[in-house]
Amino acid sequence: MEDVHEVPRKRIATGHLAQHIGKPVCFVGRVEKIHPTGKFLVLSDGEGKHTTVELSEPLDEEISGVLEVVGRVTNQATIMCMSYVQFREDKSPFDLELYNEALKIIHEFPEYFPFG
Amino acid sequence: AIMQGENVSKPVLQVINTRAIATGNGPPRYRVLMSDGVNTLSSFMLATQLNSLVEEERLSAQCICQVNRFIVNSLKDGRRVVILMDLDVLKTADKVGGNIGNPVPYNEGQGQQRSSAPAANAAPSKPQQQNGNLSAAGPAAPKYHAPSNQFGKASAPSSVKTPGGSQAKVVPIASLNPYQSKWTICARVTQKGQIRTWSNSRGEGKLFSIELVDESGEIRATAFNDQADKFFPLIELNKVYYFTKGNLKTANKQYTAVKNDYEITFTSETSVVPCDDAQHLPSVQFEFVSISDLENTPKDSIVDVIGICKSYEDVTKITVKANNREVSKRNVHLMDTSGKLVTATLWGNEAEQFDGSRQPVIAIKGARVSDFGGRSLSVMSSSTVFINPDSPEAFKLRGWYEFDSEGQLLECASISDVRGGPASGANTNWKTLFEAKSENLGQGDKADYFSCVGTVVHLRKENCMYQACPSQDCNKKVIDQQNGLYRCEKCDREFPNFKYRMMLLVTIADCLEYQWVTCFQESAEFILGQNAAFLGELKEKNEQAFEEVFQNANFNTYEFRIRVKLETYNDESRIKATAMDVKPVNYREYSKRLIASIRRNAQLG
Repeated sequence: MEDVHEVPRKRIATGHLAQHIGKPVCFVGRVEKIHPTGKFLVLSDGEGKHTTVELSEPLDEEISGVLEVVGRVTNQATIMCMSYVQFREDKSPFDLELYNEALKIIHEFPEYFPFG
Repeated sequence: AIMQGENVSKPVLQVINTRAIATGNGPPRYRVLMSDGVNTLSSFMLATQLNSLVEEERLSAQCICQVNRFIVNSLKDGRRVVILMDLDVLKTADKVGGNIGNPVPYNEGQGQQRSSAPAANAAPSKPQQQNGNLSAAGPAAPKYHAPSNQFGKASAPSSVKTPGGSQAKVVPIASLNPYQSKWTICARVTQKGQIRTWSNSRGEGKLFSIELVDESGEIRATAFNDQADKFFPLIELNKVYYFTKGNLKTANKQYTAVKNDYEITFTSETSVVPCDDAQHLPSVQFEFVSISDLENTPKDSIVDVIGICKSYEDVTKITVKANNREVSKRNVHLMDTSGKLVTATLWGNEAEQFDGSRQPVIAIKGARVSDFGGRSLSVMSSSTVFINPDSPEAFKLRGWYEFDSEGQLLECASISDVRGGPASGANTNWKTLFEAKSENLGQGDKADYFSCVGTVVHLRKENCMYQACPSQDCNKKVIDQQNGLYRCEKCDREFPNFKYRMMLLVTIADCLEYQWVTCFQESAEFILGQNAAFLGELKEKNEQAFEEVFQNANFNTYEFRIRVKLETYNDESRIKATAMDVKPVNYREYSKRLIASIRRNAQLG
């Protein structure tokens, strides 16, 4: 499944999970809950909807704030995470609602935002 | 029954005759002779808003009308006048054909004409029967109940319920004149000024003024000294009171825009009593001008405006040089559906107490248009500011702003050009470089200013600095005298040193266009990340480090505020662009603008 990084991956929000089952995606959300085992995360997107992210290896550190997760959508509409990046919020907070607005536009105009 | 002060609902009457009465300087008043089939009465006046009915001949002799709203006013000589506020013409004159019944003139105190059921029930049943009878084109004595049944009642009680038993016979404001000293009017306060004090050679004093309105017109009233103290806390804006006994004198038109030849001065005999029954009085009338129309409004005119307070600044204190007094002022920015933004200045108490949180709807009556920065508004002592007024325009604005997504995303172009980096970005003029070039900004006589987001793609290293006069405010280039001294022509002095000043030519580009921009000291230092003096040293001592600074500065993106102007140099005219301000990109605002722009263009479609 390492090929996820070689292939273009669509940016999605929770609402689009169902249409992208099995596909590589990129999801940005805020950490809501971390499962005690460290294997699962719950992220919320710009609209406040929750998505479960499953990690290939359990977390070894505390994370919080906004994450960008790259992975594949499973059959249960969760994301199997291959890698993640934490967004720095020290300079200015990341506006998740605004990101969501931008996502809507990207999906509305696929001819200007081609995904590979 | 109407004459007895009873509350008759919607009586149906026939107009026998109308007569115009000239009122000097105002619209004509129409006096109407009305009949209910039994009596005629000539004491009916038509409210001026219904004048058009007569002028268009819809209301004319012999037509039948239903009076929806009326008031009875008692004149001081005991007579009563019925003012018709709202009526519907049920049947026009030509369809009626003649006078119904054989009405005789009504005399107050006259005995019973018809012995029918009590008048209280008469009115509601009248309309139906009236209609039934009209089709028969009126033989005499139709079978409806006349409202004028309770003649036996004494004519004493006035139609106005006054507390405290004072005999208040209310007259219309339009009838006030200096030759009558005992009068009472029932009016709404549409404007209340602040207490103003003065002191001159004759002593000191204080006053405050109010504007009053009733159905017949408006008038200004002033209270001085003791009366000012007495009434200022009592009188509230937009409430209705009975005002009794004051002095009438010719109005000083210099101080007021109120349409009345006279104005009232309160005396020690004046009394002000709150009135409860006030629905018939018109409330504050506005005539709103849309903000975009303000650009065409001549300076110093008085207008009413309404808009959403998109942003507001903090209150500041400034000193008026004329009398060395400190005055508070605050600028607020109003926007309406035209998409234009205007800055309104509040003064004094209103500036201090203003609360613009939650973006209220602000209506200003009687603001003065000034040409400060294009067009802006000043709130004077005679203006009134309403926050979230209870009016249909306010609700419309609120609905447009909150629910129509356009309202909040609308990029408002300010007609009061606020220069110098306002805190809220709502006033800046964002353009792409492509738009700036295609719109030929800078071609006119004046410089044009705009803001854009651009990326530095090239910097010219050569001649990016010059040696300037070291005096504080002088930036003139100094001449190297070659003897260790540098001469400044402007200051007419020689100095042993100089300061480096930057004049950096930068090419910035966005997705469609590029532009050469000159950056002076502050902007250049920001882009290069070093100050001029340090750079000067680097240039002389360490060429490589100097180059590196320029390399690092390349391909960074910033927000630029640019000034473009047509400049002539040695017979050649060129458009020159200067960077007034360079800032890091505020990505949130930028993306909001982009999203709004995309949505707008998508809608155009």
